[in-house]
Amino acid sequence: MDQNNSIPAFQGLASPQGAMTPGMPIFSPMMPYGSGLTPQPVQNTNSLSILEEHQRQQQQQQQQAQQANTGLPGTSGQTPQLYHSQTVAGSTTTALPGNTPLYNTPLTPMTPITPATPASESSGIVPQLQNIVSTVNLGCKLDLKTIALRARNAEYNPKRFAAVIMRIREPRTTALIFSSGKMVCTGAKSEEQSRLAARKYARVVQKLGFPAKFLDFKIQNMVGSCDVKFPIRLEGLVLTHQQFSSYEPELFPGLIYRMIKPRIVLLIFVSGKVVLTGAKVRAEIYEAFENIYPILKGFRKTT
Amino acid sequence: MAYQLYRNTTLGNSLQESLDELIQTQQITPQLALQVLLQFDKAINTALANRVRNRVNFRGSLNTYRFCDNVWTFVLNDVEFREVTDLVKVDKVKIVACDGKSESTQNKVDK
Repeated sequence: MDQNNSIPAFQGLASPQGAMTPGMPIFSPMMPYGSGLTPQPVQNTNSLSILEEHQRQQQQQQQQAQQANTGLPGTSGQTPQLYHSQTVAGSTTTALPGNTPLYNTPLTPMTPITPATPASESSGIVPQLQNIVSTVNLGCKLDLKTIALRARNAEYNPKRFAAVIMRIREPRTTALIFSSGKMVCTGAKSEEQSRLAARKYARVVQKLGFPAKFLDFKIQNMVGSCDVKFPIRLEGLVLTHQQFSSYEPELFPGLIYRMIKPRIVLLIFVSGKVVLTGAKVRAEIYEAFENIYPILKGFRKTT
Repeated sequence: MAYQLYRNTTLGNSLQESLDELIQTQQITPQLALQVLLQFDKAINTALANRVRNRVNFRGSLNTYRFCDNVWTFVLNDVEFREVTDLVKVDKVKIVACDGKSESTQNKVDK
C-alpha cells in the first residue's frame, strides 16, 4: 500500500472493496496529529461509504481545481499514490466548501482496517441447512380418525402412535398431527419452507371442517451440514478439547462436540464432514461453524 | 371373523347379484343370503391363503396412500403388472390391503 509515513501503525490493510466479511468489525481509524482530517461523523463505518465520501470530495476538488487529472481514481480508489498526488495538487487550490479537509491523507479513510490476524479469516464455507423442525398450535381439538380417513397421504395407527402422520410433496415435509390440535412439521430445508409447509397442513385440516388457526409457530431445531475438505485427527481433538468432546469410535464413528456458545452440537467426522444441530436460528449454525473451523484446521491430517 | 374384503370383487359381486335375484323371486330369505356371504368370506380367505401359489410383480408411481384401522389404501399411476408369462399396463390402480394373519397377505385390486 502507500508508504505514507506520516501515518504510523497501520498493519494488514485489506483491500478497500469487499472487506465486509461476516463478523469482522470494521472501525474508522482516528487520525493522529490532526493532519487536517476533521473527525467526520461517520455513522456507517462501511468501507464503501467512506470510499464514496472520498469520491465526492475528490469530485468537488476536481471541479474547484480544474487541473489536469491523471484519471480520477474515484471509482477504483485502489491507487493511493494517484490519490495522494491528486490531493497534494488539490491542496494548493482554493478553499473547499463543507467539511472537506485541507489535506487529504489518502491512506486512512480509503482503506478500511480489519483485524488482520490470519486466524480470524472467514472459512469461505457456508453450512447448508438440511432439516428444520417446527411446531404450531392449530387451536382446536381434532378427530384423528376423520382426518386419517378423509385426507390424502395420511397414516394413523393409534396402537403404535397417537398422531396422524401426514406428508406433502411441496415442500417435501412430514407432519405429526395430534388430537390436541398441536402439530410438528419436519423435513423442510429453510425457515420459510417450514412455515409454508405448516400452513399447508393447517389448510388441509381446515378443509376437512375443523376450525384450524395458526398459533405460536416456532422453529424448534435446525440442522446443517458442510465439508471442510480435509481429513481431521479426531483423537487429537478429543485430547485437547475433552471437556467439550466425546469420541467413541466403537460406538459411533463421529466425534460429538458440544459447543457452549452458541449451544450447538457438532458431529465431526474423519472425512472432514461436519453436521451441526440444535440451533434455533440460522445464525447459530453459522457462528458455530466459524468457531470450530480454526480448531479443525489445527487438527488437519497431514498424511 | 374373516375379512369381508373380497365381496367387492368380480366373483363376490356376481355372487351378490345372484343372491339378490333369488331374494327378488322369493326363493331364498335375506337371512340366508347373508349366511351365504359369510360362508363366501371364509371360503375365499382360506382359498387365497392355501391354494394360491403364483406370484405377480407390479411397479408404478404412488399417487396417494392411507393407513387407518389397519387397512392400507394406495392409488398408483402408470402401473405394470408382471407375471412370468405376461404383462399388463394400467393407468390407475387402487389397492386396498388388510393385515395378513399368517404369512400370506390378502390384497384386493380394483382397476
